[in-house]
Amino acid sequence: MPELPELNPVIHGKLRLALLSLLSGVEEAEFTWLRAKTGATDGNLGAQLLKLEEAGYVAVKKRFVQRKPQSLYRMTEAGRKALTEYVQALKQLLGGVIGS
Amino acid sequence: MTGNAEGLELKDRLSLIETMIAEGRRSTESWGWVFVLWGVAYYVAIAWSAWGNHQNQAWNITMTVAMILTFGTVAWRLSRGQQKSRPATTLGRAVTSVWLAVGVSMAILIPSLGMSGRSNSNLVVAVIGTLLGTANAASSMILKWRLQFGCAVIWWALAVISCLGTQRQSFIALLVANFFCQIVFGIYAMICEARRNKQVANHA
Repeated sequence: MPELPELNPVIHGKLRLALLSLLSGVEEAEFTWLRAKTGATDGNLGAQLLKLEEAGYVAVKKRFVQRKPQSLYRMTEAGRKALTEYVQALKQLLGGVIGS
Repeated sequence: MTGNAEGLELKDRLSLIETMIAEGRRSTESWGWVFVLWGVAYYVAIAWSAWGNHQNQAWNITMTVAMILTFGTVAWRLSRGQQKSRPATTLGRAVTSVWLAVGVSMAILIPSLGMSGRSNSNLVVAVIGTLLGTANAASSMILKWRLQFGCAVIWWALAVISCLGTQRQSFIALLVANFFCQIVFGIYAMICEARRNKQVANHA
């Protein structure tokens, strides 16, 4: 019987998974857009994005638009690879659960 | 029982991924008005040049005004989008790049043909038909929109008619293609965009 894969704990958190999935569909996204889409609080969102940034899955760029600061987040290649592997592992696990 | 709960949890994660990816790709951009604007601009230029004495001026002024209106409105909307922190999508950039490249090609080629003195109206209409056919076809393939590919076929048919037909046949074909592919298609696109944006607003 083949061994079932483990799920990446950095991605497995619901909010972090939602953030990576959102970022996979856009080139880059602003903090407020991510907040609106996930419904998370500023503090929680900032903390989860920092974890993804520390893991090398997202990169952040700061800029000013009409004198207001903006934080732009984009998914890195490592993040894309990690999300792809996570989905594959998830599908494999689901197959295992359905089979058992 | 535990296996069942675990399965539901995993399915929930998979569904979250699908929903969020779709949410990220959901576009709120609206381009139907550009088709209508250029469709009206062509008719204004055609009418002005047919009934006025300044044929070259009619086309130059109308096309310049349409171009300024298009770029001005697009720049204003982009800056507003940046303020509203709308993210850029690869799909949006792909479609924009196709239309921008074709727009620049037309802006360079058509006045150059006019200045060279080696062109005639059939050739200009054939160039317009070919370039608009190319842009509509590329855009329809990116967006997977069959109706727009229909517009591409009409523009290409116009190019062929202009190459093989008389000046009058080319002129009538241009009026028909402009009506269906710019005015009718543009209004239809605007209706679709309004419906989609309403859905996005309700969803939010």
